[in-house]
Amino acid sequence: MSKANGSAGGDGFDPKSAAYLDSIDVVQIQRGPEPGGVGGAYRAFGETLRGLKTTMARLIEGPLTIEYPEEKTPVYPRFRGRHKLHKFEDTGLEKCVGCSLCAAACPADCIRVVAAENIPGDRVSAGERYAAVYEINLSRCIFCGYCEIACPFDAITMGHDYEMADYDRSDLIFTKEMLLAEPIERTPLKSEGE
Amino acid sequence: MSREITLTIDGREVTAVEGEMLHDAARKGDVEIPVFCYEPKLGDPVGACRMCLVEIEGIPKLQTSCSTPVREGMVVHTRTEQVKQAQSAVVEFLLVNHPLDCPVCDKGGECPLQDITQGWGPGKSRVIDEKRHFQKPIELSPLIAIDRERCILCYRCVRFSQEVSEDAELQLLDRGDRTFVGTFDDRPYVAPFHGNITELCPVGALTSYTYRFRARPWDIEQAGSVCTLCPSQCNVSFTVRDEKVKRVLGRDNAEVDDGWLCDRGRYGFEMFADAKRVDGPRLKGGAATDWKTAIEAAAAGLLQAGEGRVAAIVGDASNEEGHLVQRIVREALGSPHVDSRPSRGPRRETIVGLAQPNLSARVRDIDDADVILVLGTDPLHSSPILDLRIRKAIRRNGARLAIATERPTALDGGAEAIARYAPGDAHHFILELTRALGGADTVATPLAESLEGAGKVVVVWGERIGSFGATALLDLAKALKLGEADGAGLLEVPDTTNARGLREAGCLPDAGPGLARVSGGKSTEEIRAALESGELTGLLLFGVDPIRDFPDTPAWEAAITAADFVVCFSMFETATAAKADVLFPLETHAEKDGTVTHPDGRLQRVRPSASRPGDIRPNFLVLSELAADLGLTTGIDSQPTAFAALTQAVPFYGSIDDASIGGRGIRWQDTPSGSKSPEPGKAPEPGSPDTQRGALGTIAETAADPRGVASADPGSGASLALGTYRDLWAGLITELNPPLKFLAPEQRVEISLTDANRMGLKNGDAVKVAQNGSSVSATVSIKERMSDGVCFLIEGTAAGNANALLNGGPVSVEITKVEA
Repeated sequence: MSKANGSAGGDGFDPKSAAYLDSIDVVQIQRGPEPGGVGGAYRAFGETLRGLKTTMARLIEGPLTIEYPEEKTPVYPRFRGRHKLHKFEDTGLEKCVGCSLCAAACPADCIRVVAAENIPGDRVSAGERYAAVYEINLSRCIFCGYCEIACPFDAITMGHDYEMADYDRSDLIFTKEMLLAEPIERTPLKSEGE
Repeated sequence: MSREITLTIDGREVTAVEGEMLHDAARKGDVEIPVFCYEPKLGDPVGACRMCLVEIEGIPKLQTSCSTPVREGMVVHTRTEQVKQAQSAVVEFLLVNHPLDCPVCDKGGECPLQDITQGWGPGKSRVIDEKRHFQKPIELSPLIAIDRERCILCYRCVRFSQEVSEDAELQLLDRGDRTFVGTFDDRPYVAPFHGNITELCPVGALTSYTYRFRARPWDIEQAGSVCTLCPSQCNVSFTVRDEKVKRVLGRDNAEVDDGWLCDRGRYGFEMFADAKRVDGPRLKGGAATDWKTAIEAAAAGLLQAGEGRVAAIVGDASNEEGHLVQRIVREALGSPHVDSRPSRGPRRETIVGLAQPNLSARVRDIDDADVILVLGTDPLHSSPILDLRIRKAIRRNGARLAIATERPTALDGGAEAIARYAPGDAHHFILELTRALGGADTVATPLAESLEGAGKVVVVWGERIGSFGATALLDLAKALKLGEADGAGLLEVPDTTNARGLREAGCLPDAGPGLARVSGGKSTEEIRAALESGELTGLLLFGVDPIRDFPDTPAWEAAITAADFVVCFSMFETATAAKADVLFPLETHAEKDGTVTHPDGRLQRVRPSASRPGDIRPNFLVLSELAADLGLTTGIDSQPTAFAALTQAVPFYGSIDDASIGGRGIRWQDTPSGSKSPEPGKAPEPGSPDTQRGALGTIAETAADPRGVASADPGSGASLALGTYRDLWAGLITELNPPLKFLAPEQRVEISLTDANRMGLKNGDAVKVAQNGSSVSATVSIKERMSDGVCFLIEGTAAGNANALLNGGPVSVEITKVEA
């Protein structure tokens, strides 16, 4: 730019001539309409009002904020929340046989299973073996649901509970008893068609 | 040896050795053919599972690749439509009766049937009929559960039982689809190697109770190490979960164990976490303390015992630990008294002579031997895996077996010639045998005849032939020309696991590191006498329990009590450990980091696999710190530095490093530094231990000893010559491993039928075996093939330990019946 100005003053060329414009690098600046007037006033407030229209319309609708934790978002039926372990309804035996396939499938490596042998007369599960220790470290779990898919006995499923915050990491290691216990249904489910 | 031939498999040129099976040749060409029943370790293929069918051009029907030898120019296809159809049909057929209970099956995740079904199976079942049912799981033995529903009848376990361990207990019973694996009359299958069948089983039909439901393959880590429970030093792989050993598997090493493990090594791991384990340093009375205090107390006590007045006995130790102990005693405490043998052993010159590389046989040489001479040892009890090797040589390669022992051995059935000599008379017999080989007519002539004209003779000899025996063995080796033939030689079965390594690391009274000559040291027996007389005041025991394992236990107890200061390194709370002033914990072979030397000269690395319980620290560090407190700076602060110190001190280990040991070990004879083996010495000097045994005079005189060979004095009255042996199952192994408890032997006195009749004894009678005031209780066990006039007791049993009756010399005992 400075080069173009310099040559314009020094050599006496007409700065508006086409030949001159072709011969140098020019940056053309497009300017908007001059401010002021009716057009200017519309441009200053019109768009703002258009935006405010949306705002005003929402005002009439009232607040959409869900007052968590007093109020909870309903989840879809296939929402993958905290796991549950299951028992057979008729016999009361645990469905889990401690095969450890969930632990194998877990990409976060957060499931730990230690199996043991059932003692006849004091059966824990339906198979030869049962899970003596079944722990899920929920601070590591990524809720992918692979454990549920891997389970050959539908012993573990993903529940709907997503409220697992705690003050202590060690409290997030859920034991078999905690997973087997009937969960407190804190999370509403989305109703049909919602 | 064999001709190399070329064949084509799936369009690939593969070079194979003539006579090799097609399956093995394919593997070399990187072509995988699925198999269930084929296992080269088991010997000849049987072609039972039909999984390995392949198409061979020129043969209309499919052939089993496991049992078809390769031929020059053979063209093989393993992926044609016909083969695929056959493979998927075989898998479908095997799964007809397989319960598919993989989630509860212990094999799940490491199951060949799962893998092959995934890889070659049809992926879908058409079977709608009910599968066959058996009661499950049943105890096949107290250690193994059998699930017959899962069995695919591959014959592997049956072949192992019949052709490898040769106990012939497992059989296939019944016919057709009702066939099942079992024992006669459903008796428990109890045999010393039976754990191997769980590893052989390609499905989950045979599982160990010790590993039942303990872990899945993705929960565990495999850690390779070496078993140090006996001198076989089998290569093992520990299955570790949560830093604890859960299972022991074989780590095939054809040079050492041939891929098998004995049950002692396989199931002897639960003691690692036993309550009796010493899990931290302790002071007198068992008070736990910290390491600093303990090491300072040990150093102060040893220094106070006085220069040259401390002795050390090393037992269960790695080469590095042995080397450090002898340095501490020799350099820091100025005492030459170090030994690593429970009883009197040969002099340095004999040891050096026997260690000559041209005389020493490799374990593998047993396979190709023409004649195997088992001399003064029962491999089943002392080095179990050699028992299988010898059986294999006889069965597969037609080797002849000659046995000369005190006590009937497990191998007697396959022997061509058997000789028995009286307990403690091995040296006589060896001298007679040498003379017989020279043409003289002696008691050993029948045995000598079977050795004559044999090309490759491997002598498997036991350390228990004693110091005279070892000297005589050198002459026998000369007579048999062992040093000249390739593949012939001597293979020792020592009493302790790392006997050879400790000798070579310098734990001998008359030899320092590298078997260099030193003088003035006292042997184990002399140490005991010197402790009792007060000549020695301090004692350093490393991995030994003299009050249980050494001959003459009452004298040892007195000697250790008499010692002013005892430092003991012990794995468990033993009677000896209880008397220690300072007690240090020892690491097990799952925790230790170090090297051990196999009796054939192979250095192998024991690697830490599991965590050390309690407050246990690496032993070489403890020794190094103890040395520092005693004013000896070793500079050892890690395994590599400890190993470097060892290889520097032992010239013939010089060129061995961690990389050359690798996972399979290396024989020092095969390394460049192997040529630096010590020169054999001159003839025994008068006054040296070999010629000291006054009662029998010199060797030349005793050769004509009327006590004779092969058959002892028939004896009069109830007096019999006492022999002892270390039973495979005697000792802590069965006491501290709950699954093995049922195998713990009760003390019994073995006598011949003639003697039993003469003394009016029956099998199972309670008797007292007495010698010179001390006695042990036992029950009578009449044994076939026993010489008359002798009886045998087990060493190291919990009650009635035979070691209490021994005194280092020949012992005769009185047997009196105890009326109930």
